[in-house]
Amino acid sequence: MGKIPADYIINRLITFLLTIWIAATLIWLIPRFSPVDPAEIGLGRMAAGGAFVENSEQILAQLRERLGLNDPWYLQYWKYIVGLVTFDFGLSYANVPSPVWTLIAQALPWTIGLMLLSVIITFLIGNAAGAFMVWEKTPRVWKVIIPTLMMFTAIPPILSGLLLMWVFSVKAQMFPLTGAYGLQVVPGLTWEFVGSVIYHGILPALSIVVVTFGFWTLGMRGLMITVQGEDYVNLAKAKGLRPRYVLYQYMVRNAILPQITAFALKIGLLVSGQILVERIFSYNGMGKLLYDAILDQDFAVIQGVSFIIILMTAMSVFIVDLIYPLIDPRIRHSEATA
Amino acid sequence: MVLGNEDLSAREAATIRAQVESVEATSPTQVVFNLKNSNPRFILENFSVRIFGSFLIMPEHIWSEQEPATFAFAEPIGTGPYTLSSAATNRAIWDRNDDWWGAKTGFMDLPEPQRVIFLESGGEENRAQLVASNQMDVAHSVSLGTFEAIQAQNPNVIAWTDSLPYAWPDPCSRQMEFNTTVAPWDSANMRRAVSLMIDRQQIVNVAYEGTTSPSRSMFVQYGGMMPFIEAIEGAGLGINPRGQADEAAALIEAEGWTKGSDGIYEKDGVKLTANIHVNSASTEYTRTIDVVVEQLRRNGIDAKSVPVENSVFWGEVLPLGGYDISYSWLSCGSVNEPWASMSRYTNASIAPIGERAPGFNNTGRWDTEGTAAYSGIVDTMGTLSIGDPEVVNLVTEAYQFIANEVPFTPLVQAAKLLPYNTTYWTGWPTQTNNYNHPAFWWGHTHQIIHNLQKAQ
Amino acid sequence: MSDATLETNAQNADANIKAAGRFNRFDNPWLNPKLLWGAGILLAIIFVGFIGQLTWNTDLVFTGSGILKLPPVGFENLRGQAGVWDHPLGTDGAGRDMLALLVIGTPNTLMIGAIASIIGMSLGIFLGFSAGFIGGRVDDFIRIISDVMITIPPLLILVVFQSVYGDVTLLLMSVLIAGFMWQSPTRLIRAQVLSMRESGYVKMAQLSGASTFHIMFKEMLPNLVPYLFGSFIANVTTAIVTAVGLEVLGLGPQRIPTLGRVIYEAINSGALIQNLWWWWGLPTMLLIAMFIGLLLVNLGLDEVSNPRLRKVQ
Repeated sequence: MGKIPADYIINRLITFLLTIWIAATLIWLIPRFSPVDPAEIGLGRMAAGGAFVENSEQILAQLRERLGLNDPWYLQYWKYIVGLVTFDFGLSYANVPSPVWTLIAQALPWTIGLMLLSVIITFLIGNAAGAFMVWEKTPRVWKVIIPTLMMFTAIPPILSGLLLMWVFSVKAQMFPLTGAYGLQVVPGLTWEFVGSVIYHGILPALSIVVVTFGFWTLGMRGLMITVQGEDYVNLAKAKGLRPRYVLYQYMVRNAILPQITAFALKIGLLVSGQILVERIFSYNGMGKLLYDAILDQDFAVIQGVSFIIILMTAMSVFIVDLIYPLIDPRIRHSEATA
Repeated sequence: MVLGNEDLSAREAATIRAQVESVEATSPTQVVFNLKNSNPRFILENFSVRIFGSFLIMPEHIWSEQEPATFAFAEPIGTGPYTLSSAATNRAIWDRNDDWWGAKTGFMDLPEPQRVIFLESGGEENRAQLVASNQMDVAHSVSLGTFEAIQAQNPNVIAWTDSLPYAWPDPCSRQMEFNTTVAPWDSANMRRAVSLMIDRQQIVNVAYEGTTSPSRSMFVQYGGMMPFIEAIEGAGLGINPRGQADEAAALIEAEGWTKGSDGIYEKDGVKLTANIHVNSASTEYTRTIDVVVEQLRRNGIDAKSVPVENSVFWGEVLPLGGYDISYSWLSCGSVNEPWASMSRYTNASIAPIGERAPGFNNTGRWDTEGTAAYSGIVDTMGTLSIGDPEVVNLVTEAYQFIANEVPFTPLVQAAKLLPYNTTYWTGWPTQTNNYNHPAFWWGHTHQIIHNLQKAQ
Repeated sequence: MSDATLETNAQNADANIKAAGRFNRFDNPWLNPKLLWGAGILLAIIFVGFIGQLTWNTDLVFTGSGILKLPPVGFENLRGQAGVWDHPLGTDGAGRDMLALLVIGTPNTLMIGAIASIIGMSLGIFLGFSAGFIGGRVDDFIRIISDVMITIPPLLILVVFQSVYGDVTLLLMSVLIAGFMWQSPTRLIRAQVLSMRESGYVKMAQLSGASTFHIMFKEMLPNLVPYLFGSFIANVTTAIVTAVGLEVLGLGPQRIPTLGRVIYEAINSGALIQNLWWWWGLPTMLLIAMFIGLLLVNLGLDEVSNPRLRKVQ
């Protein structure tokens, strides 16, 4: 394990920061060109609730002031960027006194939890399937079934989610249709609650698993085939290298590298896929928050959620980028290419 | 509080300030309101269900020390038999107070349920599954198909009626408003033609799957309103539920429009179009307008549905009159007398074109000689007390202006299909046991809860 | 990382390699079974849409054209109504004919993918060649921007856009998605151009005084065709996934039927619990068939561009 060159890290870090900045700017810029006036929407919300609003001009002026709409654009932009750095996305339009960050902070743990649950299941199932595919004693049926299942990697998780929902919730009634935990369960660190969370999480997690496990399966399968005697492995052995060294230096790398690259490129799609899965399962995470915000045209929340998800994606890619050279020796030796 | 605080600007505060001279508590159980003018409707308007926003009495020992515009009142207190034990974003739990004053003084027995849980349960499917699996006792409105699916799984689930329509008609019947300031809808004949093209029975069949009925007038079809509705129909001002397409065509062609090769009317090379703004908050609304759009297209109007988000709809489209035609329920108000609904279309509430109207009365800015005559009659009606026999005659007299000039056109009655689960609790309000209406989000839920009995 | 991307594709293709083994390496590489199957599935879907639009009454996509919630022929719905031949695939919750919806919605969905991908591809080819050939600052700029944009999930930016601007047309949505479809072709072509620039035949061409344009489009482009095809297909997939995602959030075109829109309406109307499987299930199965077809085509193309894959095992 050599050292990762500093210019590689700097290069990646710049890309990461640039990503965040460009995304944040896009999110800020897009609504500026819209004919919709957020202050008018705020007023509309009052009117929808109370049916009658007097002094509307006064209220509009107040709302404009509070939303900072009277500032020049560069000041608004500066305030926005400063806000993002401190996770201050302003106030939700629909849930009036709540800051957007409070809503996100409630939803984010669910999304991350679901992500971890699905990654763990994917890792276990994926690797097992990969090994199974190569193992000599595997029944022939499985050697047909697994590659067929891997066709699912082509479809977005929302479709697998719908199918799973239909089979296991509606027809078999084995799993709950929606929600992140039972309605009777009081949240807290009790076994009942944890059990309920896992029980509710299984179907949404599985919808993601069936479309992602292929990555690990391919990696593991590649690894197993390599182990079964490639020339260069034999050569390495013949050269008297220690088996563990051979395993790591040649086999793991060759088998896993392409998967990691593919994975890094797919992170964005996976995260957006999970957001949609949360929406169809009404899972209490960012996807539901985003969908509710779309229904309410709560732009502050839409912006905040989009930004946080993009941030998560960019961070995952950044982390993969940092791990990458540990496995791929070429990056350590050559100059960092894109 | 309302009289003393000038900053409160909601409609209710303004109404009270306009009507009430002073209030005094003459004894611990008696309060006297001194009004500025005589008003036979004062109690009806402010202390009964007035569709939305009736007057609430607040606890003085808490509110007197607070700034009402900013005070959150996050831990509500009241005089009821339940106290709030916990609340989160998606649930509120109320526990029975066995020490309740009402039971001790013999005012009323304690209600049977020991704990009441309000849940935000997500979408319709989720509600349905919870009710079907006995995890929920009563849920917000569902569509007929969903209700049938629940009943198929759980025969203990019932509704307002035992067979179609199942649903209870909410008092805000559905209608379309015309913006009378833009061509061609500034022509009464064109508006009438649209009204005549609409097959209201088809709306009931397709958008509501039979859970409601076509509107016969602007009023909700409750028993208390029937004398007025029958008088309107008796005067020949009723509505044919199937529509009268031939008459509609005659009216449009008389205005100089001719059908082009694509079956759409044209005049001077311009196609006859109609954009119908609809609030996208519920599929009930959008589905109704989808049906209307098809009907208008079949009859030669290039109609289009424009779904807009709830707050844009109420905040911009309606108050600014930014529509050709819009879907709403703005003649809502009357449940046992006609004035509340009819007063919403007088010339008193017309905002200038392009300016924001303060409320949602006459948003189409119907302002003709007919409006003036109509307003005069409705104003006279307002001075009569409820039950005055003269009111029926005034209604038919005023209604002819609505029927002829069509500032809005009634569509269908509203419908709320609420599934009740009788597995654990019985005594829900139904058509045969109609001690109250079933819309439990209206602030009378305590009465329903008090009527529940443990299932045998 | 770009050359590793190619390896990835290669590795993906490795999954179903056994079938390919039956073919002789001297056979035409374009006739490998994955490519044929994939193309077959896609063509079948397009063909059905095309024939359907010619033969079936597409006016039936309108609200109220039939009885509500009728099942496909041979099935019965919860109300005990049987399917009828007037609506062979049943009707949805507003009485629209499912067959008509699918016949119109499927080509629309594919079209979004194709248009977005073609625009993205053209941009990518232009930027990739520019970066690879001009080099220097231009290369740096294009490389960094494409690196950045490849990380941003298109769905979330488009959610912001469409929730602000409301109803969009099919074409506008395609163009918006295309704004996120140029990065991978750009990176792919840039990497290939960089490596090809050093290869013998390009050097020859340069020595013989051919113009840059000539070298780019006459000498190099033909060699890139299989890669471009692969990238194109991958982009079509991503574009459709994004479009379906937006539609399922209720943000796509409102009045034009697309498969995602049909699914959105079905979910919103409680089709799952009402046992209206044909309403959400048929568009879901069509989309799944579409995605699997695209995957197979992509795997097949990998075998064309990576002869190595064909001879192993």
